[in-house]
Amino acid sequence: DSHIQYERVGADVTMKCGSMDWDAAVTWTANGTDIDESHLNGSYLILKKVHLSQSGQYSCYEGSSWHLKYQTYLRVGTPPKEPLLMCRSNNYPKGFYCSWHLPTPTYIPNSFNISVIHGTREMVCEKDVFPKNRCHIRYLQLFSTVKYKVTLTVTNALGKNSTTVTFDEFTIVKPDPPENVVAKPVPNNPRRLEVSWQNPSSWPDPESFPLKFFLRYRPLILDQWQHVELSDGTSHTITDAYAGKEYIIQVAAKDNDIGTWSDWSVAVHATPWTEEPKHLTTEAQVAETTSTSTSSFMPPPTTKICDKGAVVGSGAVAVCWTAGLVLAAYGVLFI
Amino acid sequence: MAAADSPSATLRRHDLCSRGIRLAGKMRLDVISLLDTYVERQGLDASASVAAVEGVPVAAVERWDEQTGTQRLLENLAAYRAFRALLAQMLEEQREQLGETDTALGRALAAVLLQVSAFAYHLEELLRLESRGLPSEEETEPPLLPHLSLFERKLRGLGVLRELAQWALRSSRDLRQLAKASQGSGSAPSLPDSP
Repeated sequence: DSHIQYERVGADVTMKCGSMDWDAAVTWTANGTDIDESHLNGSYLILKKVHLSQSGQYSCYEGSSWHLKYQTYLRVGTPPKEPLLMCRSNNYPKGFYCSWHLPTPTYIPNSFNISVIHGTREMVCEKDVFPKNRCHIRYLQLFSTVKYKVTLTVTNALGKNSTTVTFDEFTIVKPDPPENVVAKPVPNNPRRLEVSWQNPSSWPDPESFPLKFFLRYRPLILDQWQHVELSDGTSHTITDAYAGKEYIIQVAAKDNDIGTWSDWSVAVHATPWTEEPKHLTTEAQVAETTSTSTSSFMPPPTTKICDKGAVVGSGAVAVCWTAGLVLAAYGVLFI
Repeated sequence: MAAADSPSATLRRHDLCSRGIRLAGKMRLDVISLLDTYVERQGLDASASVAAVEGVPVAAVERWDEQTGTQRLLENLAAYRAFRALLAQMLEEQREQLGETDTALGRALAAVLLQVSAFAYHLEELLRLESRGLPSEEETEPPLLPHLSLFERKLRGLGVLRELAQWALRSSRDLRQLAKASQGSGSAPSLPDSP
C-alpha cells in the first residue's frame, strides 16, 4: 500500500512496516537508498525531529525475500500561518478581486476557501484560473454604505488558519497604472517635453468614471521629483525641463472621487530638444569663458542669461544652450 | 417630446449636467467634512456601524448602469427632498440639544442643507427639461419617529450624513450618465414607455 504521510517539521515520526510484526527482519529505504539500522526500533523506522530534506519515498522490504511490504511518501511541512489577503477594484464599477498568499511556505499542498459577505448576503467569489490565488466578484450593488467582509481560510494536512478583511466599496478602488506613456521633445523648445498616456485598459468606463492623473518627472542626475496633478486629459507639457538633460517620467491614475492612486506607470525617458552644435571649437571657447562665473548650483538658464549681447559663435540659441549646460554641470559638481 | 429634443434643450441639459456634477462634487466634499465635525462634536466613533435608518433614502442600487435617465433624476430628486427634511430636523435637534445653532456643527449643517436644497432645485430644472411633471413633495416629509434617546439621535444623524455622502457620489455619476446619453443621442434620455 502506498500513501502520503504528512508530518510537521521537528516532529518525531515512527513508521510501521505495514502488518509486519515488530520483531520481523526488514530493510527500509529512503528514495531507494538503504537506511542504516540505527534508525530502526525492531521493524519500525524512527525519524527524530524530521526536517524538510527528509521528505521522500520510504519503502519497507521483508528481510529475506525482499518483498515490498509497505511504502509511503513522507511530506514534511508546516501548518499554515495567517494568510495575507488583499482586495482591490481596478475595474470599478464592475467588481473587485481578492488575492492572497502565505507569508511563509508550508511545503505541502494547501487549499483555500474564501467567503464574501455584504450585509446579510453571501456572495460568490469566482476563482481565477491564473493566478490561482485570486478570485473576482461582481458588484451587485453600487453606492452602498454597507461594508464587505471577506474571510480567507487556508487548510492543509497539518492545520488551518484564516484572516478577515472588512472594507467599503469605495476604499478599495485603485486603478491600474496608465498605459503607453510617451514622452517626446518639442522641436525648437529646449525646456519642454510633451508627455501623453492612455487610461488603463482595465478601467471599463472612463467617461462615466473619469480618472485624474499624477505626473512626476526628474532629470536622471537629480533625486528630487517634480509633481503635477491633472484633473483631466491624458497629456501634459513639461515646460521647466533642464535643457539637454535626460528625464525620467512616470504617471499614476486615480478615480476622480474615490479610492487610491495607482502604482506608477512604467518609466519613460526623454531629453528636451537641443540644437545641433555647429562648431565644437567655438563652444569650447565659450565654456572656458563662462566657467569661472559660477560658484554654486543655479536653476536652469532663463532667457535673461541668453542675452544676445553675449553671443560668441554662430547663434544665440547655441550659446544659451551651452551656457546652460556648463552652469548645470557646475551645479552637479556642488551637489 | 419635440422641445426636449431641440438643440437648445440639448445644450441646456448638458450645461445643467455639468453644473450639477460640480455641485454634487462640492457637496460631497462638504458632507465628508461635516461628517468629521459631526463625529467629533457628538463624541461618536467614526467607524461605528449604523443599521439602516427608517426614512433615510438609501443610495445603494442594483443594476445602476441599466437605469434610464428619468429614473435617475426621479430617484435623486426624491432622495434630496428627503435629505432636505432630515437635515432640517437635525438642525432643530441641535437647537434643542444646545439651545442654539450657531456652533461650528450647526453652521456646517446649515451650509450642507443649503447645498442639498440647491441641488434638489437643480434636479427639478433637469426634470422640467425632460417635460416631466415634478412629483409631489408631500411624500418626502421625514417620518414621525418614536422618541429616540440622545445617543440614538446622534447615531441616526451619522447614518443620515453617511448616506448623503454616498448620494452625492452617486449623483455625480448619474449626471455623467445623463450627459453621456445626451451627447450620444443628441436627445432626451430614454423615458419609460407611455401609452
